[in-house]
Amino acid sequence: MLLTDATIDPATFAAETGWESKPEGLCKGDVCVPAPEALAVDGQLDAAAVAAKLGMAIVRDEASGVAVLGPESGGRALTSATVPDLNLEDVDGNPFDLASLHGRKVLLVAWASW
Amino acid sequence: MWQELHAELEPKGTTVVTVALDLDPEKARPFIEAASPTHPSLIDRHHHLDRSLGIVNVPMAVWIDETGTLVRPAEAASIKVSAMRSMEIPEDTPDRVKALLTEARKIPGRPEEYRAAIVDWANKGADSAFALSPEEVIERSQGRPIEHSEAAASFELGCHLYETAGKDAAIPLWKRAHELHRENWTYKRQAWTLETTAEGEPSDLFQEVGDVYGTSWLDDVVALGGGENYAIVPDLD
Repeated sequence: MLLTDATIDPATFAAETGWESKPEGLCKGDVCVPAPEALAVDGQLDAAAVAAKLGMAIVRDEASGVAVLGPESGGRALTSATVPDLNLEDVDGNPFDLASLHGRKVLLVAWASW
Repeated sequence: MWQELHAELEPKGTTVVTVALDLDPEKARPFIEAASPTHPSLIDRHHHLDRSLGIVNVPMAVWIDETGTLVRPAEAASIKVSAMRSMEIPEDTPDRVKALLTEARKIPGRPEEYRAAIVDWANKGADSAFALSPEEVIERSQGRPIEHSEAAASFELGCHLYETAGKDAAIPLWKRAHELHRENWTYKRQAWTLETTAEGEPSDLFQEVGDVYGTSWLDDVVALGGGENYAIVPDLD
């Protein structure tokens, strides 16, 4: 996810990464990581502390000042079997929320033109 | 191909969703229009699926049950035998193309069995032998060391810079992603395909080692142990 600041809004972080900020720590599915140091004073998350705790790389472009937080690491590609929020657009730009298919089985296929 | 499967499975409560990993949606448009899908057909410009689901190549798929829980992790998703597999390679084929086709033919896959497994799951749901528990799904997903997290962040930042500052700003970051996660073919092929060869070859697969990245599909496949290691083949036994 793009980082625009040294802190991250917890709701945005949850939507982008699936990690929710709870009293017991940062949680994804059944996994909770205690991370008191990740809580900044104003209810925001401290990006550097979150990154260190969850094994998320931060890569920065010095010219533009833009930084990106990578996914959690140190285990498997999937931390949880719960599908994260997935909001993508179709080729004409119409939004689609994968959660709208709850109640049906879904075969999600990645392909590419290249 | 996916539309045909969707039409077959839709009455059984199963929806096919296709997602094109394409920085430029217009590159995907002709394929989508030709397929005329009645299922959701989406675009993932910055390869979000790599980060969130562990996609590293195409075609790959995950299976999701009615509650939004994965019952199979990201794995190769071929449902038709490739024509390349049975094709004779003519004697006069140029050496590089011959080598490429030889590696491509080694890519493992059991498309008919995989398709049958999908249909079995569509019919039986959780009772299908091919539907895995959440623990198995996590265990069967690929390992993710910190280098892969850095590769994902580098690739995503490259995509952002490609759109805001131009391709030259993106290239060093994409190169870094390629080095850090060599088994991720979506990072490489997405970047390669933005370069054109002197001959103007249409597919990045046939490109020689380019000046920009110093890598190519054939050389990287060979370096990673050959076509037999190219795909994450579903274990259906």
